[in-house]
Amino acid sequence: MAAAALLRRSQTAARALLSPAPLSSRLVASKPHSSSPAPPPPSASTKTFSIYRWDPDSPSTKPHLKDYKVDLSDCGPMVLDALLKIKNEQDPSLTFRRSCREGICGSCAMNIDGDNGLACLTKISSESKGASTISPLPHMFVVKDLVVDMTNFYNQYKSVEPWLKRKDPPSPEGKEIPQTKADRAKLDGMYECILCACCSTSCPSYWWNPEEYLGPAALLHANRWIQDSRDQYTKERLDSINDEFKLYRCHTIKNCTHACPKGLNPAKQIDTIKKLQLGA
Amino acid sequence: MTTRAKLSGIQRQALALYRGFLRTARLKSPEERHRIESVVSAEFRENARNVDRRNFVYIEYLVRRGKRQLEQLKNPDITGLSTLEINKVSSIP
Repeated sequence: MAAAALLRRSQTAARALLSPAPLSSRLVASKPHSSSPAPPPPSASTKTFSIYRWDPDSPSTKPHLKDYKVDLSDCGPMVLDALLKIKNEQDPSLTFRRSCREGICGSCAMNIDGDNGLACLTKISSESKGASTISPLPHMFVVKDLVVDMTNFYNQYKSVEPWLKRKDPPSPEGKEIPQTKADRAKLDGMYECILCACCSTSCPSYWWNPEEYLGPAALLHANRWIQDSRDQYTKERLDSINDEFKLYRCHTIKNCTHACPKGLNPAKQIDTIKKLQLGA
Repeated sequence: MTTRAKLSGIQRQALALYRGFLRTARLKSPEERHRIESVVSAEFRENARNVDRRNFVYIEYLVRRGKRQLEQLKNPDITGLSTLEINKVSSIP
């Protein structure tokens, strides 16, 4: 049917070319107006994604990797674009967290080709041979597909008491607590943390002791408050994490620094805490 | 009392969770307590009947989900618990 339509169109097109036709008709796209959509042209840039799938609503199926083919010429450059394209066009049941699409919220943290990162900041690797494997953050309980249970991670962050604590009474006029530029510069490299959990879930020490070891993210934030010149509970903060398990499960594996999508260095901050513990 | 087979760790976790729910229900108002008890016992009994006892992945997932729900219920500001029935229509070919 479509082939016949194409033949008829080419005859009319030939006749149109012979006679001086207005410019607009020649520029009309010659897509066949058949009821079935034309199959997508087999482009050289098709990438296969092997995505981890598990549905709690069908408990008898084991977790497995499912392959999806995506035409890269019709897709944005980042892995999140591919995931959304798969969800929109091929499989609406694919479940993952996402929000800002610009690498500031930390929702789309997942394991892409073995490395933890944010899906919205990780470019799709252009070598077409070999599938890209997308799996949830390693050694975390899976709620569904790529969504993991972050409650333990958030509780560890809460346990660090990530707020300003002062012993002096607050200023009566509600004025701000002054801080020099040099003191504020000490917080650079720590305040940018978006709590995506890429670092903590890349640490083998955190894999083997997730309940006791705080993990690089929580320790980075602990250091952010220890280093803050306005905070007056520095000694108490240092004492609360001066624990065999909470701090000293860190063996400077440095996977955290490699994984951080914002380019932060949690290993350096943990090192700073350890040095302060020696002095205190 | 007949001697019962030794309960495995995961069986003890499920029973502890059930006990936790019933104890928390006791702290709420009487009519709410009755509703919590009926909802929780219905869900536990249904899962005990339908879920394969060797499917540890799913049982652990249910225990984790139950623990999280119990933490929320323990909060004194929470007055009750209600359920919604969704008729699942499978649309994926």
